[in-house]
Amino acid sequence: MTDLLANLALGFSVAAHPYNIGFCLIGALVGTLVGVLPGVGTVATVAMLLPITFGLPPVGALIMLAGIYYGAQYGGSTTSILVNIPGEATSVVTCLDGHQMARNGRAGAALSISAIGSFFAGCVSTVLVAALGAPLTGLALLFGPAEYFSLMVLGLIFAVVLAKGSVLKAIAMILAGLLLSMVGSDLETGAGRMTFDIPELSDGIGFANVAMGLFGFAEIIRNLEMSAESREIVNAKISGLMPTRQDLIDSSGAIARGTILGSILGILPGGGAVVASFAAYTFEKRISRTPEKFGRGIIQGVAAPEAANNAAAQTSFIPLLTLGIPPNAVMALMVGAMTIHGIVPGPQVMTKQPELFWGMIASMWLGNLMLVIINLPLVGVWVTLLRVPYRLLFPSIIVFCCIGIYSINNSPTDVLIAAVFGLVGYWLVKHDFEPAPMVLAFVLGPLMEENLRRAMLIARGDATVFATRPISAGLLLVSLALLTLALLPMIRKRRDEVFVESEN
Amino acid sequence: MLRLLSRAAFGAFVFAAAAIPAAAQDFPKRNITMVVPFAAGGPTDIVARIVGEHMSKTLGQPVIVENVVGAGGTTGSVRAARAQNDGYAIIMGHMGTHAAAVSLYPNLAYKPDVDFEPIGMAAGTPILIVTRKDIPAKDLKEFVVWAKANNDKVNMAHAGVGSVSFTSCLLLNSILQTKPTQIPFNGTGPALNALVGSQVDYMCDQVVNLVPHVTGGTIKALAVGTAERNPALPDVPTSKEAGLAAFQVTAWNALFAPKGTPKPVVDKLADALDKALDDPAVRKRLLDLGSDIPGKTGRGPQALSTLVKSEIERWAPVLKGTTIN
Amino acid sequence: MSEAKSSPKGGGFQFKVRGPRDFYGGLALIALAIIAIAASAELPGQSGFAFGPGTAPRIFATLLAVCGGLVALTGLLVEGPPVEKFAFRGPAYVLCGILLFAGMIRGLDLSVVKIPARIPALGLVIATFSAFIVSIMGSTEMKWVESLIVAVGMTIFCVLLFVYALGLPFQLWPAF
Repeated sequence: MTDLLANLALGFSVAAHPYNIGFCLIGALVGTLVGVLPGVGTVATVAMLLPITFGLPPVGALIMLAGIYYGAQYGGSTTSILVNIPGEATSVVTCLDGHQMARNGRAGAALSISAIGSFFAGCVSTVLVAALGAPLTGLALLFGPAEYFSLMVLGLIFAVVLAKGSVLKAIAMILAGLLLSMVGSDLETGAGRMTFDIPELSDGIGFANVAMGLFGFAEIIRNLEMSAESREIVNAKISGLMPTRQDLIDSSGAIARGTILGSILGILPGGGAVVASFAAYTFEKRISRTPEKFGRGIIQGVAAPEAANNAAAQTSFIPLLTLGIPPNAVMALMVGAMTIHGIVPGPQVMTKQPELFWGMIASMWLGNLMLVIINLPLVGVWVTLLRVPYRLLFPSIIVFCCIGIYSINNSPTDVLIAAVFGLVGYWLVKHDFEPAPMVLAFVLGPLMEENLRRAMLIARGDATVFATRPISAGLLLVSLALLTLALLPMIRKRRDEVFVESEN
Repeated sequence: MLRLLSRAAFGAFVFAAAAIPAAAQDFPKRNITMVVPFAAGGPTDIVARIVGEHMSKTLGQPVIVENVVGAGGTTGSVRAARAQNDGYAIIMGHMGTHAAAVSLYPNLAYKPDVDFEPIGMAAGTPILIVTRKDIPAKDLKEFVVWAKANNDKVNMAHAGVGSVSFTSCLLLNSILQTKPTQIPFNGTGPALNALVGSQVDYMCDQVVNLVPHVTGGTIKALAVGTAERNPALPDVPTSKEAGLAAFQVTAWNALFAPKGTPKPVVDKLADALDKALDDPAVRKRLLDLGSDIPGKTGRGPQALSTLVKSEIERWAPVLKGTTIN
Repeated sequence: MSEAKSSPKGGGFQFKVRGPRDFYGGLALIALAIIAIAASAELPGQSGFAFGPGTAPRIFATLLAVCGGLVALTGLLVEGPPVEKFAFRGPAYVLCGILLFAGMIRGLDLSVVKIPARIPALGLVIATFSAFIVSIMGSTEMKWVESLIVAVGMTIFCVLLFVYALGLPFQLWPAF
């Protein structure tokens, strides 16, 4: 304990250096900006800024890059809530209730609660990283292909549960998402799958293209056919910018549970963080006494996933700092940045470069504090944006999305693919299919299939491996229980009364 | 020698300036795009950014790195091959895209030795053979015995079909005459994770990715595939010392321009690259990464052209039977 | 689904589309599944203990076909709301705007779609402006003066933001 305090004191002495505070602020600001712009990827931005960090001291460079990373997580929820466009896989769930809240005139409350939830999660998980970082390293190593496969199965079950309509249709959407995720070259053989000999498809379809199309473009097309009054995003009167006392009471439990789930899942480098936000959402919906309100703008539906994805963003530094293994593309860039500075990310960073390790951890807390200070006043600005007439707002969103998608790979084809998914999304809405389960399955699909195949290869075709490895068996049992819970009401024909969205 | 040549070329260039199209004469007038066909932050990307930053100073125009990821680097290479051949679009190709790809992809849309004007070698990264830490073998010789005895039990990890770790490990397997089960991963990170967690037995990859894990003792290094020991890992024997001299492999990175780029422009770029590789700060950065910087004779268009041809030939037999459509 | 509120087991089976949203939705899913199965037909399946690239797509496509069948069946059995009319104007203009952006930003070789022509790379400024103007025409209450002013403003804003503030490597103006 005294060690921890001494370490944290060292960390804060590093992080509180005026230069480092400055780098942290720049990172947080750029991150927020990138997160708010639909499509502009965190990866692209960090890559762009990488050469700038050559000239900076290593600690400052990493503090800045880390700031961009979690700043983008913060900012990403803003577009989800305001215009229903998830910038990253982790903010897909935030769209579900966040955008509904905005439509009900409660964008301010949704944005504030997401900032507050994220801040709380950031504080708790930073302490977790500091206190448990080293011992928790072992957890990541316990997860082999079999365990990751079972975790992804569980993730797909979450996707069923978070659907608000028919379970059958949600499962169909998941299967469609899985199929879509398989387009591109096969990991094991490199063979092109379902690419129709289109070279642009040989690496699969990008997440941003699917998400922008299904959520962003489809929403715009759909809004255009409505009459002028009902088309404005906010037709209800915009009520207060800050959450009410009741909101805070309602969401406190959700924030706490989201933080715990997110912190645990974030440690797993093989895609744990992706599962975090919708695990938290599903959990809230399951334990809620009013599950029918989920998907219609309930504050818990924003608070839980936002807390979870921010917590996961922080704890995903654990595998990076202690194992040297980057859990995602942004982290891979951080490894690049570290190597350029002659720091070898890995097990020895903590002992050999304590000022770097603890300085970064302390800066994470400072960064979160800055983010909440940056974001709370901005809530008012964002909400004002919603007052812009829709006829001017929608072309702007389109232009932003186009530039954003294009910037990811500098590929015009990506923009075309997003346009196709816009039409698909429009069609889905007309036939009462929900895009969210499809997008989630699309994200989890490769992780699931690849780990399944790896596990089978290593086990030499013995499928019992999923049942004999305890963690894997446990995850599969939980999946089974959740699926049964989701299917029961349908079998009893009562689900329709409980879950149906009041349709016209 | 090369410097002299390039001086001579430069002199000739100044002399013949009037005869050369204006475009080549005042090159570069605007940003130069350096395509990196791999993800930002990877070994090739880092080399490209370090070298590119210094080249900007020599050329007086920013060299901007553009990552065009896909299909084992061939997507970016196709784009670079088809780009305007005015020198404003160049590519940092590597062992995979500009040699192994020829054997891996039967439908490859470009010929590395025909469709590009070589500019010069940038830097290479030696390949290391690593195993899980609890493998029952203390050196390469024991490992070879163990791998042959347990042919049907051994799991080899690689970072994706066509990646450097894939091709170099196939080279190792072809030397050892073993056929382990290949476990594919999506990049070096996940593959390393599995190796550290002892889910798989061994892999081969670029030194830069592996150094911290070897020094940290989470994985075991058996040999490095270069003639000399790597300064970053002085305790790891060379493949020759370890008894497997045939395993000689370096993941080289080199700059190319599209075919038909005017010679004066190529020479200007080659000269800027040469200056970058002589700069002490650049050298230190590259060496810290465990990179191999080519000596004077290994630089320039001519040396690269020879290297590409020999590498294409070399990989053909190793990769026979593993084609990607 | 709300259609389940009506009695699902009404009378003997007649071929009548009661829930068109489900029925046609299900049929489309079956079509998608068939396309996927056809597209992955040539991929090698399981060999030894290796799954092979073709196995998973075929399994999931088959499951999707089954699911689609069940959804379509629901559409036959259960009363449901009609499919809303598809609008044409909005989607068409929005789509054109996006296509224009994609075509102009770095140029497009139309020989891919068997047209022997090439759109030159027109750069960010023209692409952004055109995409804005075309997509805003999808709105029924578009006003020219206002739209032009906002389009110019947005274009300037995008250039400042993406190129100068974020430093993204975009080509700004046409290059011939």
